[in-house]
Amino acid sequence: MITPVPVTFSSLILIALLVADVPPNSQALLPGSETHTLSIAHTAGDAHLNGLQARYKALSAQLSRLKPQQPYILVDTARNHLYVKRRQEVVLDALASTGSGIILDKPGEGNDQWVFDTPRGEFLVQSKLTDPAWVKPDWAFIEEGEEIPKNPADRVEEGVLGEYALGFGKGYFIHGTLYTRLLGKNVTHGCIRLNDGDLKRVYTFARVGTPIIIF
Amino acid sequence: MSFCAVLFILLVLGTPSQAGDLEAFHDLHLNDPGAVQEATRVLEEEVKLAARAQTYLLIDLVTQTIQIKGRGIELHRIPIVAWSAKAVQNMKGAYRLIARPPVLRRKIDPTASIEQEPISLADMPVDYTLSYSPPLTIDVAPVVGENPVQWLRAQGKMWWRNAKDWSDSFSAGQSITQSPHLQLEVSAEQGRSLAWSAVDGMALVIRRPTDK
Repeated sequence: MITPVPVTFSSLILIALLVADVPPNSQALLPGSETHTLSIAHTAGDAHLNGLQARYKALSAQLSRLKPQQPYILVDTARNHLYVKRRQEVVLDALASTGSGIILDKPGEGNDQWVFDTPRGEFLVQSKLTDPAWVKPDWAFIEEGEEIPKNPADRVEEGVLGEYALGFGKGYFIHGTLYTRLLGKNVTHGCIRLNDGDLKRVYTFARVGTPIIIF
Repeated sequence: MSFCAVLFILLVLGTPSQAGDLEAFHDLHLNDPGAVQEATRVLEEEVKLAARAQTYLLIDLVTQTIQIKGRGIELHRIPIVAWSAKAVQNMKGAYRLIARPPVLRRKIDPTASIEQEPISLADMPVDYTLSYSPPLTIDVAPVVGENPVQWLRAQGKMWWRNAKDWSDSFSAGQSITQSPHLQLEVSAEQGRSLAWSAVDGMALVIRRPTDK
């Protein structure tokens, strides 16, 4: 049950002022006067401004809703840092290694090349692996001047990716490294390397579907 | 004062602070119709860009910053020291990067035992041009104090471009439609950072000042 609350005269005046958005020091407008004509133009201008403000606020809210609501991983390839962020809060700031940008010619395929860049844009964690083994791609043999093995088992190398790996598509992973002295440098073939401690924290925090934004 | 009035005042006072947290441009003067209109135009573009899984650039000439963004989040901010522009009124809509400065990439030679040096920020240029579609050219130059020779080169390029535009306009016998052109002065380090981050196809939106 709603109990009626008495409204005093002064509060009604105050509410009327707030609703009309009239400045408290504005003059009374007399119908038929020049001021009245100006007030119509002013009102039209106010309506236009109010409309713009409403649109601006609606779009701001829409943009805000597009921001990740869940924690996400941010990778700065220029400065070789990986961050775990929750909105604007930095949960983890880790030194990383990202793509070297070096190129390697593909054998017998015209002008085709491998470019060892870390891809930029937005990705999602697609897989979480423990004790991952590296299945060496063709370029790993070619850059060493070795023959590409015919037996798939000869491509598998254990213990070089650390204890965990997070796949984010097209063969790219966030993984560990044996070469921790190279963290902070662009030395990888496109993957993102972390030290063991940071990798464990990222692995623990991330879920399949966690966004990874790379720039 | 009655309970209703107090409640109403609380509501009225409470709303702006909540809306303020959501506002995209904190510097915006909400009583300036031109500024609000421009901010709204930029937001309309940005909402479309932020809805997709991509990173994009926002050049905010009001706050003099270049922002690398994704999903509406500011990922990195580059301060603009100074800027000048031609045909600012035509800088509308979203642009896509079609040409950026070439990067000298080292190549692995499997027959040689020499290890190639990876590329780094230091390999990025500080004085370069970014070309966009629809037509928009952005010249990035270092600040005069940091590298006077490169700054002079950038000024010369700007002067040459102006002279060419004037000459084209003169020979056509009328004023020709100018493609927008923006010249940005940033620190050498930030210029390299922008060259690194601006990847092919990357989208750009520009927020223009309403008083310039």
